[in-house]
Formats: sequence, C-alpha cells, structure tokens
Amino acid sequence: MTNDDAFAADLLRGHTDTIVLGVLRRRDRYGFEIYKAIRDATGGDREIKEATLYATYRRLEKDGLVESYWGDETQGGRRKYYRITDAGRAVYKSKVAAWVATRAIIDSLLDVKDTIVKETK
Amino acid sequence: MNTEIHRLLDEAFAGVEMTPDAQDLKEEIRANLIARVDELEASGVSPADAARRAIAELGDVRALLDDAPEAAPVRADYTALALRNRVRPRPAFVVRTVVLSLVAAVAVVLFVLGKSGFLDISAAGMLGLGAVVAVALGFVTADALQQETTTNHPLPAGRAIGFGLGTGGTLAALALGGTFAAHLDDLWLVVVAAVLLVASIGLLAWLGATTTNRHKAWTRQAHGAEAPNRFEEDPASAARFGVYTVGIWVLTFAAAAVLIFTVGWWWAPIALAVGLAVWMFVLGRMLFGHKS
Repeated sequence: MTNDDAFAADLLRGHTDTIVLGVLRRRDRYGFEIYKAIRDATGGDREIKEATLYATYRRLEKDGLVESYWGDETQGGRRKYYRITDAGRAVYKSKVAAWVATRAIIDSLLDVKDTIVKETK
Repeated sequence: MNTEIHRLLDEAFAGVEMTPDAQDLKEEIRANLIARVDELEASGVSPADAARRAIAELGDVRALLDDAPEAAPVRADYTALALRNRVRPRPAFVVRTVVLSLVAAVAVVLFVLGKSGFLDISAAGMLGLGAVVAVALGFVTADALQQETTTNHPLPAGRAIGFGLGTGGTLAALALGGTFAAHLDDLWLVVVAAVLLVASIGLLAWLGATTTNRHKAWTRQAHGAEAPNRFEEDPASAARFGVYTVGIWVLTFAAAAVLIFTVGWWWAPIALAVGLAVWMFVLGRMLFGHKS
C-alpha cells in the first residue's frame, strides 16, 4: 500500500459511522450487504475492514442510532439486519453538513481546483 | 453447500467465552461469511479457498469482544450531562407555539359556546372554528416534533408531518361530530367525521408501530446507568402490589356503594379519598420502604 492509499484509507475509516448510516438510509441491510455497498462504491481497492464494521455496528446500536433484528432465513445462517433510527437519521444529517463544511475548508486550504483533480487522476 | 466455513468460524472463536453476546456476534458473522463465500464461489474460486479467504478478510474477532464487559465508564451525573448537552429552544418556535395555542384555545371556547347554544353560530361557522383548531394544533404538533431538544433528536420531516396530520385529522373529526350534535339535520357531517377519524387513527397507529429511537446517546446511557427501583429488582413485590391494588379498589368501590345507598351519594367521595390515600401509602411502603 502506498502512502497515498494509506491517507485515503484513513480518511475513509474516520467516517465509517456516517458511511454505514448513509448506506442504511434507503433500506435495512445485513452486514455483508453493507460491506458490499461500501466495497462497490470504493471500486474495491480502498475498502473498510470487516472487523472495523462489526465494531461500528456495535457502537451505533449502543448509541441508539441503529436497531438490529434477525431475518427469517431458513437456509444457511440467519442474517442480522440493521435499521437506521430517527436518531440515526438526525446524526447522519448533521455529520453530512459538517463534512460538506469541512470539505470546503480543506479544498480551499489545499488550493484544490477541479481541473487539478482531473489531471492527477 | 460449503461446510468448511463453519469449521473455520469455530476456530476463529476458539477460546472465546461463549456469552450470549459472543454467540450473537458469531451467528451474525456466520450469515455474512456464507454470503461472501457464495459470492467468491460464483466468481470461480474453489470452495476451500473461498472459505479461507472469507475468514482471512474478517480479521480478528476477539478484539471486537474485548469492549463487551463495558467497564462502567465515567458515571457522569445526569444533571451535568444534561447541562453539557443542553439545547435551547428557538425563540421563533416558542412564539409560534404560544400564538397558535392561544388561537386554538379561543376557537375551542367559541366552538363550545356555539355547540351549547350560548352563541348563535351557523354550521359553517362551527366547521370553520373546528378547522382553525385542527390546523393550529396539527401544526404545533409537527413543529414540536421537528425541534431538537436536550434529550431528543428532531423527528424526520415526513414523520413529524404525519403526526401533525394525525392530530389535526382527529381534532377535525371531533369538530365535525360536535357540529353534527348541534345541527342534527346535516347527516353528512357524521359520515365525514367517521371516515376522518378512522383514517387519522390508522395513520397514528402506523406511525406508532414503526417508531424508532430518537433519544440522544447520552440520554440512553444516563437511563442505562440509573439504579433500578425495587419493583424492577424484585418483580414479586410488584406483583404483590398489583394484587393489593385490586383489593383496595374493590373495597373502596364497595364502601362507596354502601355509603350511597345508606347515608346519601354525596358521601361517596369520602370512600374514594380514603381508598386513594391507602393505595398511595401502600405504594410508598412497598416501593421505597425499608429493605426486609
């Protein structure tokens, strides 16, 4: 892993809670679906480790931001689904607002312009 | 069906004390691993490799369970936490609520006067007053639920509006019923009232059944840290209190009936007052009395 990748992974990991809440916003999902949604969004190279995600679910549930329930699958293992709560939606909204504000600040401090981003890609 | 994964999962949990919490986590991980193994096999990986890769991606499960015993964090006191997380109400919200409540109160008074015949108000006028009450209080409800408070997050706009509609609909149905009571020849009023009432109750029931937590994390933790009261610690004493309650009130109503038929109905409240006093006394003794 290069230094750049490590930097990106760190940034992503710092927002795991918000990312999980965002993934759950549309519908209830179980662990592997959440993991897959994040993996697909990152293109598969900068993923969040599964163990990190399990720790995140436990913390979010303890804080009342998500609720869990067991699915009614008859084959294989029963899946534990997560549902975002009203508290979770409120926290998600405020975190997104904070992120948008911070992103603007960092963009301006790092003197990022859209054209530069395109060149380095 | 790949059975390798179950063996590897058992290995990953080897030596972990199987508390209900750990068992729960293990079953959750099992279902997710099975889904991941199916995905890998579908992409052409051999079953044994798929199982090993899925387990390797998982990482160390023991680290997850280390935080489980919850080494009773700083038992910060409730008032201090409430003060630190304090959210002041928005002045505009307070003004809106007070003004709308006053408007609704005036409309209710006029409506009651119209219904009891002290004021001569037409059916249309009474419906207008009812609409004012319903809209004002429905708005106050939705508005209040969308406010962030010290202990609660704001309700999402859609659900808050739903609660407002339910409240407004119920009040509008009551107003229609009241108007019908004063103008008995307008039968359509009671039909619309019934439909509106059923729809509003249905909406409120749906909102109630699908409700989720909106308490803030600090409130939940503070509630969790509270010492349980005696009825929670000792369900048998709570059950005894329930039995005593039934006994006390059966005797009270029997005494009230006896008083009504012997010395007169105006003595009945005495029996009720004594019954209530005895009931409170028993509650105080059983809930807060000395531990035996």
